Amino acid sequence: MGRVEGAESANRKVNSMKYLLSNDYLALLTRTFVGLLFLVVSLEKIVEPAAFAQSIANYKIISPPLTTVLATILPWLELLCGFGVLFGIFRRGSSLLLSGMLIVFTAGVISALWRGLDIACGCFTQDPTVGKIGWMKVVQNVTLLALTVFLYYSSSVKFSIEHHLRTRSSE
Amino acid sequence: MSRLRTALREAGMLLLAATALGFIYTAAMEKGLFASRQPADTLSLPSSRNAPVMISRDQAKAYFDGGDALFIDSRHEFDYKLGHIKGAINLPLNEYNLKMGALVQLPREKLIVIYCDGADCNSSIELSARLFADGFLNVKIFFGGWDEWRAQNLPIEKSTP
Repeated sequence: MGRVEGAESANRKVNSMKYLLSNDYLALLTRTFVGLLFLVVSLEKIVEPAAFAQSIANYKIISPPLTTVLATILPWLELLCGFGVLFGIFRRGSSLLLSGMLIVFTAGVISALWRGLDIACGCFTQDPTVGKIGWMKVVQNVTLLALTVFLYYSSSVKFSIEHHLRTRSSE
Repeated sequence: MSRLRTALREAGMLLLAATALGFIYTAAMEKGLFASRQPADTLSLPSSRNAPVMISRDQAKAYFDGGDALFIDSRHEFDYKLGHIKGAINLPLNEYNLKMGALVQLPREKLIVIYCDGADCNSSIELSARLFADGFLNVKIFFGGWDEWRAQNLPIEKSTP
């Protein structure tokens, strides 16, 4: 009897998980938020690669010229991935990359906090006087990570350009 | 499994595209990697002749003994109160706009030595850039900062709250 109930509740959990992952509006809301966020924050880094390279160097994990190479590529990756999840183009790849980036960024912040570095995050703005790293940043990043992982597993295809094109071409 | 394969393939393409765009953009705009390298002799050009420079502990000590230099502590007020170089004033980077007013009446040629904790902090460098941008022409960065100063038992003082 107990086993049947256990199986039922497990079944219910799976169903509610499936419901969440297939919910079009939840996915759309998350895509809009995450997509717009990364689009917006990438712009300042794109325009100011030198400032962003300095922000990366402040973490004292990697040193120039590698910081400059990263500062050349990363902002564009954020832009493309933000664009990708927002409009549903290369959605899986975008959410996978965003998740990967967030894991690396969070590890960087934790390691800097661990070493007692008093530095600006360089996440949302390159102004060194605002956005000092702290545990709040870690919480923020982990929350964002949960959203990008959700997008990776989400099966919703509504309002996705990729899906739209694919269904049209198969008609 | 096909989900992961699709994702990895897309991620690879995005990575390539981002790399290409990044390099093309910075090359076209001459930024980042492609910023025009400043030859060593630009240090003698008027525009950067007075730019902030790093100084060693011995130099900082010499300026301190000379008595003309204004020492600025760019750490948080909390750290400053616990102990700072004798005679230094506190100007945390994040309160720059708020507290900068205290420096306005200083002559632009005033010798200013900025320090923070030491190797683990960059606020002294960032603060010196701010001061230079605001017209101060004789700014030095004592990068060894508080850690080096204290290690040598040089003169310090505490602020009693």
